[in-house]
Amino acid sequence: MKLTELFDKGEFVITSEVGPVKGCLRSGSGDEPPQCAREAEMVRECVHAINVTDNQSAVMRLGSLAASVKLRGKGFDPIYQVTCRDRNRIALQSDLLSACSLEIDNVLCLTGDYTSLGDHKSAKSVFDIDSVQLLKIAKGLNEGHDMVGNTLTKSTDLALGAVVNPNFEPLDLQLFKMEKKIEAGAQFFQTQAVYDPAVFERMVKKTEGFGVPIQYGIVVIKSPQMGKFMNKNISGIMVPDRIIEAMGSVSKEDRKKKAVEITTELVREIAPMAQGVHFMPLGWSDIVPTVVEAIKGTVV
Amino acid sequence: MIGTTPKPFEEIMDAVAGYEKLAVIGCDGCAKVCMTGGSDQVEEMAEKLRKQGKNVVFAVTPDRTCYVTKTRTALDPHIDELKQSEAVVILGCGGAAQITRKVTEDYDLTIPIKIGLDSVGHMDTLVMGELALEQCQECGECILNETGGICPVTKCAKSLLNGPCGGAQDGKCEVDSERDCAWILIYNRMAALGELNKLRRFMEAKDYSKMAKPRTLNIKERRVA
Repeated sequence: MKLTELFDKGEFVITSEVGPVKGCLRSGSGDEPPQCAREAEMVRECVHAINVTDNQSAVMRLGSLAASVKLRGKGFDPIYQVTCRDRNRIALQSDLLSACSLEIDNVLCLTGDYTSLGDHKSAKSVFDIDSVQLLKIAKGLNEGHDMVGNTLTKSTDLALGAVVNPNFEPLDLQLFKMEKKIEAGAQFFQTQAVYDPAVFERMVKKTEGFGVPIQYGIVVIKSPQMGKFMNKNISGIMVPDRIIEAMGSVSKEDRKKKAVEITTELVREIAPMAQGVHFMPLGWSDIVPTVVEAIKGTVV
Repeated sequence: MIGTTPKPFEEIMDAVAGYEKLAVIGCDGCAKVCMTGGSDQVEEMAEKLRKQGKNVVFAVTPDRTCYVTKTRTALDPHIDELKQSEAVVILGCGGAAQITRKVTEDYDLTIPIKIGLDSVGHMDTLVMGELALEQCQECGECILNETGGICPVTKCAKSLLNGPCGGAQDGKCEVDSERDCAWILIYNRMAALGELNKLRRFMEAKDYSKMAKPRTLNIKERRVA
């Protein structure tokens, strides 16, 4: 199902992210299901769709399209993430045609983390087009033509998602780009992780007239070290000290419980300002059902 | 100018292994500004090679080694020494090395050309003798008129044309925290010019065929092919 149909019905849309494995998925008898499939199972009953990352952090893995198709085969609704880092305009358009042909309904168009941040630092970065252009191209494919105007034998039918970072300074510059994405064809947005309700509110106020649904994005903080690491190494995310301290105030065994508590509190406070929530649990997908259960009545 | 950095001396020695009689040719253009291949560095290189037991037959530094006529003018008086040389060490950019190869071929000589520098891009000198910056990629379709005179194709790591990625922090690029985010520079510049609204305009995908290599510039016809 396309996410846009859910938003149109007024649903509060819940999604969660999985990262494809570093390895291939051809099954042999007795193989354990891969981590991404297991994580998807953990959230099966509590999310509408599952984001599948595209060589996240520029670390080479199983392709997001293959993983999305595998999840589709197991009855999930994948959101196929596509970045501009590794493929030129020919490959990207071809992949979008492939995705639709393989029964994918949702695509999230991103720029992509830079190559040097990943595990193949000497790779040539592509960035032939940017995320705004990718959205415009994807919209064109939905309308039956490629980016140079050639007619397709059959149009794609993809719901087009995009991302926005409410933490960005100056915010207006980020919102110029968000407006361009909407104009280009973006139908829903997922945000970068936000831990400060005031930051999210500032963006919501400025985007009220934009007319597109926005899902509040949250990366689950699993340890005080992770919070500090993100502040130091992941640009565009700011984890407040109070969260780092709260994670540090409990024993290692109790961290998951604390993460549920913190995530629930943030979602309760911030998600009512949005039309959905997008979890990025980074391996802790098992906490997502507990958080979703806990927010029932407030946003769901 | 074309920026250059010296190759490790051991790498140069590997490249000239087996050749005893060497010529050293620098460039008093860009390589002089980069302090990698001007007359001084050419003398230093000749001395270093001699210390390693090489016979440096001659050393010369054309004004601009990428200009075929200037290189020929500089080499004409050394033609006999060039004929004796078993290899030529170039302290210049990749263009200087290839022009020198062409000039030796024009002399009907087949001499190995060994380059002693790495070329690192079209550089603009900010502080003479200290600092140069890459600001232009010669993309063949300049968009500086749209971006406040700051090039996102070069100065944004991802060459984004429609605004920043979400990764900048404190005004710095996610790829290098020492480097300013090009799009924040553009935003500030356009704000100062009172032209922020121009940043709302959608920029089409770039025509990269205009930088498809190798380009030939027909100077008379003012045309690139």
